[in-house]
Amino acid sequence: MMVQTRKQQTFLVTGGTGFLGSHVAVDLLSRGHRVLVLARGRSNSSASQRMEQLLNWFGIRKDQRMDLKILQGDLNRPGLGLDPRDARVVSRETDETVHCASDTSFSPDRREQVERTNILGLENLLDVVRESPCRALHLVSTAYVAGKSRGLCAEDFGQVREFHNVYEETKFRAEKIAAEHCAVNRITLYVYRPSIVYGNSTTGRTTLFKALYYPIRTLHFFQKLYTRDILENGGKKARDMQVLLGGNGVLHLPVRIQSSDECGLNLIPVDHFVEAFMAIRRGCPEGGVFHIVNPRSTTISRLADYTRRFFQLEGVRAVEPDEFLKQPRNGLELLFDSYIRYYGPYMQDRRIFENSRTSAILAGQNISCPEFSYQVFATCMRYAVETDWGRQL
Amino acid sequence: MFSEQARQTAGQCRHYAMCKIDYLGTGLCRSGEENQYVSHFPQGRMDIYHALCRGLVPITRGLVEIAGSCDLCGICDKQCHFVTGMRPVEVMRALKTHVRQWLEQGNQPVQAASDPDLEAMRRIVGDKWASNDPAVLLTYADDPFPLAGMRTPRYVALPKSREEVAALVRFANTRNLPYVVRGNGGSVFGFVFSDGLVMDMNRMKGIEIDRENWTARVEPGVTSFELQKEAVRHGLRANTAEPAATVCGNIVCTGLFSTWSNAYGVNADTFVDMEFIDSRGDFFRLNDPLAANAFCFEHKLTPAPGICTLAHVRLHPSTEDEEGLMVPFDDFEEAVLFARELSTRRIGLALGVLGGHYLSTFMSPSAELADKVRYGLTHALGLRYVVFMVGDRFAREAVRSMREFVIDSKLFRMLMLGLPRLGDDEWLDLVSGMHTDQPPYAILLRPEMYSLLEAVLRPSPETAAQAVDEDLQDFYAQLYARPQMTDMVWLNMFRIISARMSRRKHMFAFLVYVPLDRVQVIKQICGQLGRIADKYGIENDYGFLTPLDLGKRAILEYDYYIDHQDPLEKEKIRKALKEFEPYLDNLSASTKGVKWLKYIFSQGCARKEAFLYT
Repeated sequence: MMVQTRKQQTFLVTGGTGFLGSHVAVDLLSRGHRVLVLARGRSNSSASQRMEQLLNWFGIRKDQRMDLKILQGDLNRPGLGLDPRDARVVSRETDETVHCASDTSFSPDRREQVERTNILGLENLLDVVRESPCRALHLVSTAYVAGKSRGLCAEDFGQVREFHNVYEETKFRAEKIAAEHCAVNRITLYVYRPSIVYGNSTTGRTTLFKALYYPIRTLHFFQKLYTRDILENGGKKARDMQVLLGGNGVLHLPVRIQSSDECGLNLIPVDHFVEAFMAIRRGCPEGGVFHIVNPRSTTISRLADYTRRFFQLEGVRAVEPDEFLKQPRNGLELLFDSYIRYYGPYMQDRRIFENSRTSAILAGQNISCPEFSYQVFATCMRYAVETDWGRQL
Repeated sequence: MFSEQARQTAGQCRHYAMCKIDYLGTGLCRSGEENQYVSHFPQGRMDIYHALCRGLVPITRGLVEIAGSCDLCGICDKQCHFVTGMRPVEVMRALKTHVRQWLEQGNQPVQAASDPDLEAMRRIVGDKWASNDPAVLLTYADDPFPLAGMRTPRYVALPKSREEVAALVRFANTRNLPYVVRGNGGSVFGFVFSDGLVMDMNRMKGIEIDRENWTARVEPGVTSFELQKEAVRHGLRANTAEPAATVCGNIVCTGLFSTWSNAYGVNADTFVDMEFIDSRGDFFRLNDPLAANAFCFEHKLTPAPGICTLAHVRLHPSTEDEEGLMVPFDDFEEAVLFARELSTRRIGLALGVLGGHYLSTFMSPSAELADKVRYGLTHALGLRYVVFMVGDRFAREAVRSMREFVIDSKLFRMLMLGLPRLGDDEWLDLVSGMHTDQPPYAILLRPEMYSLLEAVLRPSPETAAQAVDEDLQDFYAQLYARPQMTDMVWLNMFRIISARMSRRKHMFAFLVYVPLDRVQVIKQICGQLGRIADKYGIENDYGFLTPLDLGKRAILEYDYYIDHQDPLEKEKIRKALKEFEPYLDNLSASTKGVKWLKYIFSQGCARKEAFLYT
């Protein structure tokens, strides 16, 4: 089935106030498309206000905003909780749908909520789309629907038996539901499976400071905490933790992170994700499953090195598990250990995501994933620190 | 001219009578101490100013004297702020200013005319201790209880002895004068009003400790705080209620219960004997074989046995190694089952299950900080519920062998003195983002983390004091430098922080005896009370639960919060009453182990077995 190619298409985008959804929506706008963004209000701001803030952050001109319509609604409600007028706009005008909304919580305690968003939300969306002229569904999934698979993870709707958490499981189930629905209703389905997405590789800009950012932010917090203790309070707490401030301003922060050089994080910048998304949509009219991943993983050891350099730290290092038998973990290391263990499947990943289809499409359009170099890391961290890890956005 | 701000503050007085006990070591309001009437304490002046603003009371000679007797020393600001966050000195000043300006305009205060009845009562108690001045009467006419209206008595008298009380009763009988007794001049339940005579027992403060028998003889004006202080002086401990509540009044009204009831029991468990004056003015003791049987229980609303003039209460030993301990839980049911297990196994003395709301409110010196750290404690740290226990080292070791993560006294002190920084946004962001497969407290409360927590919180009296108004910070820093202010045992014995539950709004508490082996019944009660409150837009939350009688029963508190000065809020509670009252009535009549405190009212001397197992 062919995706329509007339000049201005109308896209319905869910999760348009989220990290990936906002980037996709803005890119579509900049390409001259009309975008309907489904967004929820919050207690302190309406859906329109939230979107307005994002558009300002992206620097979108007023005239470009003419093609954007905010639909206040709720994915978790039948009919997406739209008022009748907005529901009519969606049912009459949607050409393609981009489903970015997702609950990324891993906690088993939040299963009900995660299922509500990732499964029920999708079903609500599909019910609405069915009544519209929409002929293409772009489902933003994750490379980690591979679950506990080992080795090579295929770029298709393969079977997966075990998952690390409810997020992976529900994203996997969502893909299946979307595939069945699209087959029955003759809608072209694109399933995008990115790995871990960080900020813009050129500018460092991002609206989300989780995943890659969180452990580094924690180190930065400790750095500030103990530097203040040393400079303002005599440094007793720092000494208790064997934290030292050198004459050159470099802080010795003894944090050993359990890791191995055989595994690492698969990181892609958000600009690459958007570029790949658009290239795939453009270059593959029949749809399919697409792994948008980095061919090269980044080891914890390398991340520790980058962190030391950028933040002027010593003592932060990746070590083999045996190291902790010799000397038990201190409080700082305990924090890291719990985090690393929880995110182990993503931070110490040995899986290989097969991406020959995606690579072929991207190569045909001269697109490649930027290397996660120190330069890119520093750019991203500079932005993170400038914005106080998003608190000043 | 009235000050609007002062009027609003005055209207928010909770009548907790905390300004009538010296619980912070500041000393008491000098005028109150000298004159004893409620009207001469800050609580009374708040009521008087609020009434003046609404034109409910004339400026009388008594009122002029009351306003003039305040020297604006500022003690009430410290006392009241500690529990309510309010600053009454502003009201005291506004009252004085208003009266002074009114007199300067050449006005003459009203003189309440004496009458033969007043003269007769003055002959019994002394001229100073009986009054019919409208300003004095006003302070015995109303309480924040939202379902009771104002009812002004004709006289207030403050007897000094049991004989004077008996004489007043006999006199009132001859004159057909209705009377009630107000232990400390206030009643948060709002039930104790009269059109005739109010007897305020505040002058009857005698306490006699009997060390050989581990008991105390307590007169009806003695508060829980005062008894505890005296008991501690003798190396003993009392099972006490709210600090400003009188011991006698509490026993008679509802019976004594607290977290210590886990070990020390409730109602008739708590006393050896009680002395009353009956409706004819004759004395009787409960242990007298010919006395009416107040140890029994009837499932109906029942009058009190009489006016209590003496409670002979039990005291208990303590050991030097007692400390508090809190065990965190994500889940209510798990917390309840754990508390029950401790009670069944006789581990620990004081025992209770607290919600995160209680914990943050108790610990925070200000309402703003309580709101802020509530999220930090319940979500970021995951302390949705804690099982609180006081026990000796053997009990604490037992708990540690049962649960890996506990908040011991050292950590509690650290959290209490570093609380303002626990609410720090950057720290909370970090902790909130720390998703792991364990609750956050399981990592953050490990002993290895203490050093890091200390670095983050920088706990000190000065840090804790940052939570309050700048001009009170020195006072709070000195206050929090006292070890007892961060000692879970002391705080739980003297209960000076529990009144903070009413800091934001007046608290309407439901107290229900419940079967502890049937957690579903407890959850159902909380759920239903929550649903009724939500339906009418009333703020509500789980309060606490304390096991009783070796884990077989418990007492549950569930709370509604309302602004008692807001007519809309009063209306909400009136509507909700039509649902919660029949619900709890039916449950009390039909479910074994469930008994709403409404039915214990005035049967506080009853044996617990008579209502817990019937």
